[in-house]
Amino acid sequence: MRKVAIVGVGMIPFGRYESESLVEMLAMPALRAMDDAGIGDRAVDALYVGNMAAGMFNHQSAVASALADYLALLPAAADTIENGPASGGSAIKNGLLAVASGYYDLVLVVGGEKMRDVIGPRATDTVATMTHPTAEYIYGVTLPSLAGMFTRLYMEKYGVTERHLAQVAIKNHNNGLLNPYAHIHASITQEGILDSPHSVVNSPIVSDPLRLYDCCPVSDGAAALLLCPAEMVAEFKKPKVVIAGFGQATDTQTVQEREDPTDLKAVRLAAQQAFAMAKQTPRDVDLAELHDAFTILEIAESEHAGFFKKGEGARALEEGRTRIGGDLPINPSGGLKARGHALGGTGVAQVAELVWHLRGEAGQRQVKGAEVGFSLNFGGFGNNVTAFVLRREA
Amino acid sequence: MKELVAYRCKKCGLIMYPKHGRCLRCKAREFEPFEAEGDARLITYTDNQTLPWGIDDRQRFLGIVEFANGVKAMGWLKVATPKLGMKLKPHWEPVRVMGGEDVYGLVLRQGK
Ligand SMILES: [Zn+2]
Repeated sequence: MRKVAIVGVGMIPFGRYESESLVEMLAMPALRAMDDAGIGDRAVDALYVGNMAAGMFNHQSAVASALADYLALLPAAADTIENGPASGGSAIKNGLLAVASGYYDLVLVVGGEKMRDVIGPRATDTVATMTHPTAEYIYGVTLPSLAGMFTRLYMEKYGVTERHLAQVAIKNHNNGLLNPYAHIHASITQEGILDSPHSVVNSPIVSDPLRLYDCCPVSDGAAALLLCPAEMVAEFKKPKVVIAGFGQATDTQTVQEREDPTDLKAVRLAAQQAFAMAKQTPRDVDLAELHDAFTILEIAESEHAGFFKKGEGARALEEGRTRIGGDLPINPSGGLKARGHALGGTGVAQVAELVWHLRGEAGQRQVKGAEVGFSLNFGGFGNNVTAFVLRREA
Repeated sequence: MKELVAYRCKKCGLIMYPKHGRCLRCKAREFEPFEAEGDARLITYTDNQTLPWGIDDRQRFLGIVEFANGVKAMGWLKVATPKLGMKLKPHWEPVRVMGGEDVYGLVLRQGK
């Protein structure tokens, strides 16, 4: 297997895109990634597009073919990759394996979603189609409600409190203020979202115990990466950042069939695989982008990925260890909470963020001296998870 | 309540709901269908106040229960105040309208 590098990165600010089509929205970060690497008119061999539900959100299918045409990448191979909210992670995986195998040299990976073409309850319903059609979906279960049920058990078992959840939101919104790509640029306080009488208005219950500020926004957004074999990096203008490790694992489709519903087995396995492939440990990681679609997930994933012992993630958060400047900054981008969550765009945006930090290009939110980064993209309610370890190399 | 059909692996005895093509534990392909029976104990729940398109209710308690005979399932809790561990009685009732038709599912109540 060849070692694979990321030589180009591009993103567009997450939020709402009213006048651009889905394909125009995906094209913008793709062109930025190509320019970032400085590939000029050089041919791209293949394109992988991570997208969950353009068929439902935008009434469009075969998105990768449309993007290959729009960007004049023809006759490059092109595939749309769907793995729910982990579609981005899966698209990167496909690009990684294609380059590692020696089959393709230059591969463009784009992830994105245009969710705000539909109203909120429609978006909630579309995302809920990931659940089991007869054992879950029919009841009106949503991803926030699966997360609510998980949170209730996690609080009971590990002593996580609403205060801890609010601290995740506050930290990530503070980080988001430093990120020009973030969907939400707003500073929030514990007073405003939890303690004051106005908190029930500012942050109403979505699916208890989770409130509005425990949940990510519904975003339009996209990001892109350009991959090549590590030995080709010198042909481009950027420092060498390699995908040192990758992992992916599945778990039962329904949460109810898990022996211990608080155990995120797929997170644990995907992270273990990624660290084993990279020949590194969680202690080597300088920053992590975790899938905080719900505040509880940042805490639970930080434990399952091996950064903290089970039940100790909340304490690490309280002690400030996961802030920018702490010993393991988590979600310096603002995470899904503040940068936003554009389904298929998220996994690619997480890795783009890591690349910027490993190159020293992350501006005000830069994690100083970062050499190793980790990302985790959580599909379904933890039933299909991807993880990456990135490393800066000389 | 008659319609919540679970599956017991004929080889290793693992109870599964919903249906699988192979046993999650031993990979065998033969199952004995059986009904969920007895009281249902509440394992976890949420007060979902943001229901998706297609459901007009402002709020629903949703939860996961375990039946006395080992079946675990999600259902709609029609109770005033859910509590972890509480015992509930299962009913099979309309839970959603899809394509103009009532779709039936698990509804849980206290008492009979
Ligand atoms: Zn079996």
